[in-house]
Amino acid sequence: MATTAMESKSQKIEEHLIVEKPFYLVQKNELTIGLAAYKHGIPLLLKGPTGSGKTRFMQFLAWKLGRPLITVSCHDDLSTSDLVGRYLIRGGDTFWMDGPMTLAVRHGAICYLDEVVEARKDTTVVIHPLADDRRELAIEKRGELLTASPEFMLAVSYNPGYQSVLKDLKQSTRQRFIALELNYPEASLEVEIVSHEAGVDENIARSLVRIAGMTRGLKDSGLPEGASTRLLIHSGLLIKEGIPPREACRATITEALTDDSELNAAIDEMVSAVF
Amino acid sequence: MAKHHFEDRLWHIMPPEHLNEWEREELIALIACFDRSLDDLILQQIAAIWPISTALCFSILEELEKTLQRIAPADVPEWVRRILQIFEAEGLRAARAFMEDADNIYFQRMRGQESLVFEEVAGRLLPYVRGLSSRNLQLEAGSSAATDTTTVFLPGEISVFADAKQNFLLYKLIATFQWVLIDKDLYCHKKADYPALCADVARHYSTTPASEEIYLTCFFNSFPHPEYAREVYCLLQAVRSASFLKEHLPGLMADLQGVFDYFASMECERQSSQPYDVVSGLRFWLLAVCLGSGKPEVSRETAEVIKAVESPQVTSLDVMKATFRLCTLHGGATPDSEFPAPFVFQGILQPAAAHRARLARREENRTQFVEALASLLLPAPEKSQGPPSEGEEGLSQQPLPDSGITLMQFEPDREEQSKESADEIRYIRLDDQDLDMPEDIQQLSRDITEDLGGIPSTYIDSARKMAGGGMAGRNGEAMEQSEEVSVGEKMYDEWDFRRQGFRKNWCYLIEKKITATKGSFVAATLEKYRGQIVQLKRQFEMMRTQHRFIKRQRDGDDVDIEALIEALGDARAGQAPSDRLFIRLLRDERDIATLFLVDMSSSTEGWVGNALKESLIILCEAMDSLGDRYAIYGFSGMRRTRNIIFHVKDFEETYTDEIRGRIAAIAPVDYTRMGAPIRHFTKILGQIDAKVRLLLILTDGKPEDYDDYKGEYAIEDTRHALIEAKSAGIHPFCITIDRQAQDYMAHMFGEINYAFINDVRKLPLRVPEIYRTLTS
Ligand SMILES: Nc1ncnc2c1ncn2[C@@H]1O[C@H](COP(=O)(O)OP(=O)(O)O)[C@@H](O)[C@H]1O
Ligand SMILES: [Mg+2]
Repeated sequence: MATTAMESKSQKIEEHLIVEKPFYLVQKNELTIGLAAYKHGIPLLLKGPTGSGKTRFMQFLAWKLGRPLITVSCHDDLSTSDLVGRYLIRGGDTFWMDGPMTLAVRHGAICYLDEVVEARKDTTVVIHPLADDRRELAIEKRGELLTASPEFMLAVSYNPGYQSVLKDLKQSTRQRFIALELNYPEASLEVEIVSHEAGVDENIARSLVRIAGMTRGLKDSGLPEGASTRLLIHSGLLIKEGIPPREACRATITEALTDDSELNAAIDEMVSAVF
Repeated sequence: MAKHHFEDRLWHIMPPEHLNEWEREELIALIACFDRSLDDLILQQIAAIWPISTALCFSILEELEKTLQRIAPADVPEWVRRILQIFEAEGLRAARAFMEDADNIYFQRMRGQESLVFEEVAGRLLPYVRGLSSRNLQLEAGSSAATDTTTVFLPGEISVFADAKQNFLLYKLIATFQWVLIDKDLYCHKKADYPALCADVARHYSTTPASEEIYLTCFFNSFPHPEYAREVYCLLQAVRSASFLKEHLPGLMADLQGVFDYFASMECERQSSQPYDVVSGLRFWLLAVCLGSGKPEVSRETAEVIKAVESPQVTSLDVMKATFRLCTLHGGATPDSEFPAPFVFQGILQPAAAHRARLARREENRTQFVEALASLLLPAPEKSQGPPSEGEEGLSQQPLPDSGITLMQFEPDREEQSKESADEIRYIRLDDQDLDMPEDIQQLSRDITEDLGGIPSTYIDSARKMAGGGMAGRNGEAMEQSEEVSVGEKMYDEWDFRRQGFRKNWCYLIEKKITATKGSFVAATLEKYRGQIVQLKRQFEMMRTQHRFIKRQRDGDDVDIEALIEALGDARAGQAPSDRLFIRLLRDERDIATLFLVDMSSSTEGWVGNALKESLIILCEAMDSLGDRYAIYGFSGMRRTRNIIFHVKDFEETYTDEIRGRIAAIAPVDYTRMGAPIRHFTKILGQIDAKVRLLLILTDGKPEDYDDYKGEYAIEDTRHALIEAKSAGIHPFCITIDRQAQDYMAHMFGEINYAFINDVRKLPLRVPEIYRTLTS
C-alpha cells in the first residue's frame, strides 16, 4: 500500500486506480464533506485514532471519485526526494523518476500522506504551495513547476491522541485543510464492519465491539488509546482460524494495548467477562 | 478447673458489681456449656472484649458454640480480633451480622484456605470496573458488598474457596454485580412516578404513606413489613441483573459456574423443604438464572412476576411494582420469619448512602457545569500565534466583556423538549449567537437532566456571574506589576481529582524575565566546586559519544548507495551532483532537549534556594561541554490567577555571564502551584524538535498554594500534569529535596520518575549526576 520511490520501480499511474469498490460503511457526513472538499480543490485533513478507518475512507473516496490513490506512509527519514522524485541510472543513462507526490500531481490523482506528523517538518514544507490555492509543486532539480490539475487532491492524516514526536501540526499547515474527524464507528456499525472484515458471525463481532468499548474509556486509568477497529478485526481473524477467543484477544488486544501489568490484567478480565 | 476457681477468675476480669444479677447468671450459664478445657481461652477473650462492649461480649459468647463447630479453638482469638475490628469500625450491628453470617468467608480462611484480600485485587479490578461502566467509579473495601453509586464496596477479604482463582472470580462477580445494579438504577434515581406507586401501596395496606425524601425508603415504609418488601425488592433486582449479565457478559457467567454451584449447594442445605416461601423461591430463582438451570417450582403467578423482571426493558419502577405484586400475592409475610443473609454478591442495600452520593454528585455537576459554561462565556484568553510583544500588562489590553452579555437559556420550547430527551440540549444561546456546546458540557447537561429533569436556570445565572466576576478578578490581580517584565500570558486547565475532570482555563500563567544580578555568588560557586566541575565536564564530554549511522555525509565509513545513485543520476542529467555520498558512524547525535524547572516558592528560602542555584551553575558549566540543548525556568504561584514562570534561559540562548547573573538573581517568591507550569512547559517542549525531551523539575516538596491548592488536590493535579507530559512524549523527572521521603512522592511523580535528596549539601553535585544517568 505504502509507496516510496525506491520501492516501486513502476511509475504506472493505472496501478493506483481502485477498481473494486472498497468495503466502507459511512459513519456520518464524511463522504459529503470529502466530496465537497474535492469539488473545491481544498485538501483534506483526517483526524482520528489509529485504526479508525482513515485509510479505508480514502480508498473509498478515491474509488467514488474514480481517481487513483497514492498513499505515502510518513516517517522521520522521509526526504523531499522521496516525495518529489530523483534521478536514477539505468543502462548508463539517467532518467528522472517521479516521486509519489509528483506522480499524483501530474496525473490528477489523490495523494494521501498517512501519519503526516511523523515526517520531519522540512520534508512537509513541499506540501504548502500544493495545499493552498496555488496548487503548485516545485521540482527544484528539474527546474520544473507543476500546477495541479483540478482532479488532483491532497489528503493527510494524523492522530491527535498519539502524541509521541511532534505531536501537533503547525497552525500554518492545518489551516489549509478541511478537517474531518473519524472516530471509532458507533457500536452497531462497528459490529457490521468487524464481522464483514474478519468473516466472523455477528455474535462474535458484537462481543469484540463490547470489549473494545470497555477499553476506550480508560484514559485516566493510564490507557491513552483503547482497542481500535483494526485490532478487533485482527482478533476476529484469529478466532476464525479456530484460536479460542480469549487467547485471540490476549494476543491482539490485551498485549497490543499496553505493557502495564495491572492494566493488562484488567483488560484480560474484560475479555474473559465477555467471552 | 474447679468451678469456683473459674468464677473467681471471671470476676477478677469483670468486676461483678458492674453487672446486674440477671447478667451475671446469664454469663455463668453461657460459659457453663463449654468444655472446661476451653476456660483459659474463654477468659482471655472475655478480658479482651469486655472493656470494649458488654453487649458485644454477650453476643460473642452466644455465637461461640456454633463457631467452635467450624473453627479450631486456636483460631478463636483471631476470630474475636476480627469481630472487634468490625465492631470498632461499624458498630454492634455489623459485628453481629458478621458473626451470624453462616457462610462467613472468615471461617473458610480459618480452615486454611487460600484467601484473597481487597488490596491484592483492587489494581486489577479498578480499571476493569471503570471499563465496564465507562465511569470513574471508585473501589473500596467494606465489610460487605455494596454501592452508593459512586463507590463500589467489596469485602476486605474473600476465602470462600480453597482456590485463589475461584476467590478472585467471586471478587470479580461482586464488582460486576454492583456495577450492574448501578447501571440498572437500583436506587431509583431515574425520574419516574414513584410517589403514585407509594400511595397505591399505602392505600392497599392502609398504612400512612411515609413522607421520605428517598423514594425507595418511602416505598418500603409503605408496607406493613418494610424489611420484607426490601428483601423481595433486592432479590428481584438481583434476578434482573443476573439475567442481564447472562446476556451481556456470558464469559464471566460461564467462568462462575463453580461459584454458583457452591452457592446452590449451600442454599439446598439451608432449605431442603418445599414449598418455597417467596424469599426462598426468589433465591433459588436467582441461582437458576445464574446457572442457566431449571427454575424452582413456585406458583404460576409468582413465576410470571419474576419472569417479567428478567426482560431487558424493565425499569426500577417496574421492579418496585413487581415487589408490590409479590407481596400482595402472598398476603404479607410472617413478620417474625427470619431472612437468610443475602448472597455475598448481592450486596447490602444502602439507600441513604446512595442518596448522599447522589446529592454530592449533583453538587459536583453543578459546579462543574457552571465553571465550564463560564469559561465558555469568557473570550478566549489565549493569544493567537506570533511572539507576544514585550510590556503587555496582563489582560488589561484585551477587550473585556461587559454587561452586554446576555446569556439566553435554551429556547422555551426547547426547554420543554429537553425534559423528554436529554440529547436535545446541544447548544446555548448567547445573545443572537448559538454556541456549540463542547462535548464535556453536553455530557454534563445530560447527567444533570437525567438527575433533575432539566437544567435549572440558577445554574446558568451562576455561570454568567462567574464569567463576569472571574474576568474582573483576574484583571485586578494582573494589574499589580513587579519590576520584572511580563512577556506573555496563557491560561491552563487544572485537574480536579474529585470530579475526575479539568477545571477549564483555571490557571492564569504569566511569564517574566529575571534581571541578572552582579554579585559574588557565581564566582564563589565556581571556586567552591572547581575540582568537581572539571571532573563533571570530562564526564559529560564522554557522553557526547553515541553511535549512530548517518546518511549523506561528505566522508564516512561506507558508501551511501542511495545517495550515490541519486548523485550519478543528477550528474548524467547535467545537474551538479551532491558530494554527500557516505554513511558515517555518528558520535555527537545526542538529540536531547531538556528543560529545567526550578521551584521558586518561598519555602526554598535559605539553604535550599542557595543549593538550587549552585546546582544550576554547576550543571550549566557541565552542560556546556555536552552540547545538549537546554532551557531553565523558575516557577512560583499565588492563587490560580498569578502563576508566574521566570525566564532564566531559553533553548536558543547560550550560556553566558548574563545567564549566570540571572541564575544568581533567582530568589524565593510565593507558593508552589505546579500543575500550570508543568502543562505550560509540556507544551513548550512539545514544540521542540528533539528525539528525547526531558522536563527536569527541581522542588523542595509538596505542591501547595495559598488557596485550596493543597493536600490531595494539589498532589493529584501535579500528578496529572506529569502524566499529561508523559503522554505528550516528554520525560518528566523530579528531583525533590526534603528532610525525609514522603508517601505521596511515588504516587505524585510515578515510582521511577523522581529522585529524593535529603541532604541539601549533596544537591549541587547530585543534579548533574542525575542528569547524566538519565540521558546516557
Ligand atoms: N467505516 C468503515 N468501513 C469499513 N471498514 C472499516 C471502517 N472503519 C474501519 N474499518 C476497518 O478497519 C481497518 C482499519 O482501518 P484503517 O483505515 O486502516 O485505519 P486508519 O487508517 O485510521 O489507521 C480497515 O482495514 C477496515 O477493515
Ligand atoms: Mg492508516
